[in-house]
Amino acid sequence: MSLLELQDVTASYGQGSVLHGISLSLAEHGATGILGANGAGKTTTLRAISGTVRTTGRILFDGRDISGLGPDRTARLGIAHVPEGRGTLPQLSVRENLLVGAYQRRDRKQIATDVDYCLDLFPQLQQRIASHAAALSGGEQQMLAVARAFMAKPRLMLLDEASLGLAPSTARHVYEAVRRLRRETGLSMLVVEQNAVLAFSVVEHVTVLETGRVTVEGRTDELMGMDSVRRAYLGG
Amino acid sequence: MAGALVRLRAARWSRPALALVVAVLLVLLPLVSSPYVNYQVTTMAVFAVALLGLNVVMGYAGQVSLGQSAFIGIGAYVAGYGTTHGWPLLLTFLLCCLLPGVVGMLVALAAARLRGLALAMVTIALPIVGTPVAKRLSDVTGGSQGLTVSWLDPPSWVALADDQWRYYVVVAIAAVVFLLTRNLVRGRVGRSFAIVRDNEAVALSMGISPYRTKVLAFTLASTIGGASGFLYLAVVQYTSPETLSFGTSINLVVAMVIGGSGSIAGAVLGAVYYVLVPVLAGQLDASRTALLSGAFLLLVLFVLPGGLVSLPRRVQQLLTRRRRRSATPSDDPGDRTGTPVLTSDGRTP
Amino acid sequence: MSYFVQLVVDGLATGSIYGALALAIVLVNRSTGMINFSQGALAVLSTFVAYAVVQAGGPLLLGLVVAVAFGVVLGAVLERLVVRRFEGGDPNTAVVATIGLLVLVSGIAGAIWSYDPRAFPSLFPNETLALGGVFVSVRSLGTTAVLVAVMVALQLLFRATKLGLAMRAVADNPGSSALSGLPVSRLLMLGWGIAAGLGAVAGVLVAPQLFISPTMLDFTLVYALAAAILGGLDSPLGAVVAGWFIGVVENLAGAYVDVIGNDLKIAVPFAAMIVVLVLRPQGLFGRRTVVRV
Repeated sequence: MSLLELQDVTASYGQGSVLHGISLSLAEHGATGILGANGAGKTTTLRAISGTVRTTGRILFDGRDISGLGPDRTARLGIAHVPEGRGTLPQLSVRENLLVGAYQRRDRKQIATDVDYCLDLFPQLQQRIASHAAALSGGEQQMLAVARAFMAKPRLMLLDEASLGLAPSTARHVYEAVRRLRRETGLSMLVVEQNAVLAFSVVEHVTVLETGRVTVEGRTDELMGMDSVRRAYLGG
Repeated sequence: MAGALVRLRAARWSRPALALVVAVLLVLLPLVSSPYVNYQVTTMAVFAVALLGLNVVMGYAGQVSLGQSAFIGIGAYVAGYGTTHGWPLLLTFLLCCLLPGVVGMLVALAAARLRGLALAMVTIALPIVGTPVAKRLSDVTGGSQGLTVSWLDPPSWVALADDQWRYYVVVAIAAVVFLLTRNLVRGRVGRSFAIVRDNEAVALSMGISPYRTKVLAFTLASTIGGASGFLYLAVVQYTSPETLSFGTSINLVVAMVIGGSGSIAGAVLGAVYYVLVPVLAGQLDASRTALLSGAFLLLVLFVLPGGLVSLPRRVQQLLTRRRRRSATPSDDPGDRTGTPVLTSDGRTP
Repeated sequence: MSYFVQLVVDGLATGSIYGALALAIVLVNRSTGMINFSQGALAVLSTFVAYAVVQAGGPLLLGLVVAVAFGVVLGAVLERLVVRRFEGGDPNTAVVATIGLLVLVSGIAGAIWSYDPRAFPSLFPNETLALGGVFVSVRSLGTTAVLVAVMVALQLLFRATKLGLAMRAVADNPGSSALSGLPVSRLLMLGWGIAAGLGAVAGVLVAPQLFISPTMLDFTLVYALAAAILGGLDSPLGAVVAGWFIGVVENLAGAYVDVIGNDLKIAVPFAAMIVVLVLRPQGLFGRRTVVRV
């Protein structure tokens, strides 16, 4: 059984609808990249899953219909959404951000271990552990956002445009850590990314959205072979 | 009142016609109604001017002011002093506008760099500190007892009763203040107010100084407030520290929002509310005035955020929505409570 | 000298009341980013509940407990039903909404208990202690002690507990906090509830002195707002210290500076506040907000 399944999901902000009935599924421990142009509905797909946008259709998580649940409920079920534009709490310290990430957990010893794991994953955060998140650089904030999401011990991470606004080397650095996170924990992921090269470094399946509909999907190696995809997303 | 009625008629030709009808009604009214009604309507004109001033700074320029009562108070005291010392009427009126305007400008020069709540706090200081100061300066203000004047009796060549004469003077001055302010907020100054209110960064990029714009808004608001103080003394013939109390300021804010913030007609409706509600509530039970007033304000904020002035538009909106809904019953957006929509790094919108 | 010490101790006691209400204001500001102009009115209504308990023959301490419980529920309910609508929206509308609550809640108190001031029993005996030749009232000492205890408890809540961390997170960014599974709605209600409960404590402590009436705390609220802004709106410690500062300075200024006297001493905190705001807009203890785009 797949961990996540979207069946004919639509979503809208107020009047205009952004998703027009998309379906996709993600296996346990799998990772799927969502590609597409601006406005194709990538971010909205993640928001639909975490419950930060109004939807219709069915969203099954671990066999349970989670459509209509708010973000706090989906988070407690094990979905960690790293939103576009760095999901940090700016007035809290780095350590406090991580502890907020672990809010729903009761295993205090394991929390301490996981904080150490995050700091090992992102050594830069170690030096800034007592700083306000607002004082971090853009790259450090993105790392903190990923680390905070991981602290929830989620079963599924939704990663939205983690490279946005970062220098190429910083973006690569973030994605290397994400890949290591997957390798070492087997965490399932949905990755929205403009930069397909970065996305392909983490995922093994790809779904391409165009104006709110799924147009292509398949394994990354299959898609690499398709000229249209190469031209559109991999620069030839 | 005129503006609100005008809004009901979309056709352009009817506007001047309707304004003319309202003007004629306003001219005829005091001749046929009782002194009590004249007094109440005149009081409405006074507070319409006061609310207009508050509207300039809060509604149009978007800066919270909890100090408007202080300017009414200063204006009334200046008028009282001028009358008892036999100053010419015109000079008294000009000083009634000038002095509060200067006070308002000085406060704004210090405070306009502050935002939102800090600004609200500085403006609170005016009535809070002003009240004991007014009591202290009893030579000028009559202290806690207040100041009673006998003033603005009809001249001998006019065959009008006191209430009718005062009605005409006050309503005429109020009409002039409204016309001037209307032209101001619909012109370049009004546009700069709106830009500063909506986005100070945009204002800066357009070469508009938010600081100067806010100082201007405060100065105008206090000048207009001072004018209403003059009118207040003309009608009531009495003023006391109560006029400039914090409670008066709070009630003015309540009335402005209920009437409709950022609207000329809203100031008039707010004044009608301000004067009528204590009268109506008093007929039931005076101790319930505050209860009703608070409940009504919250009700307006919930269902009619634009104030009473937006009532016709809101009704029309609801009607069209119902019509559309019955046409396509499937696409019901429902209520917006529940999940907040996430913004990138800020609060929920 | 002994007169001076007495003035200082009494100033601390009055300042403690300002500080307690300022703490409540800071708490609301931290949890919902709003300034609650109805904080004093909520406290008065809760104090009237204590008054009703005492009228019915109950002990004052029971009245205090019931008043605090009532305040917590009242604050939480108002947050959910009224304030929620205005959170994160236009700050001016939010200010107007809490002004509406102020008018409404004191209107409720007035409609039930009328506007005539009434006597209210004191938690502390009306005695003075002679400490090294200086006479200080037990009431002043007790009021100050209660405030210190409350402040320490709040600091512990915010700095040392998971609940406090969660409340700070929600105050910082409710949308982002929800993504970590925080029950945002309940935490916001709790913030208002705790604040209103705190206000009830302040109301019961000060009512014997001011006599209870719906407008009892109008001026105290203004002092408390000044204290909250002086101390920096996000600092509980700052709010309390600023409350004491205001209480002591206005007492001394009222007694020793002839021009000020008893009637104009309210100008003192405002003068201090305006100076601080112009020189240091984040308050004496507040942190400058760091924003990186």
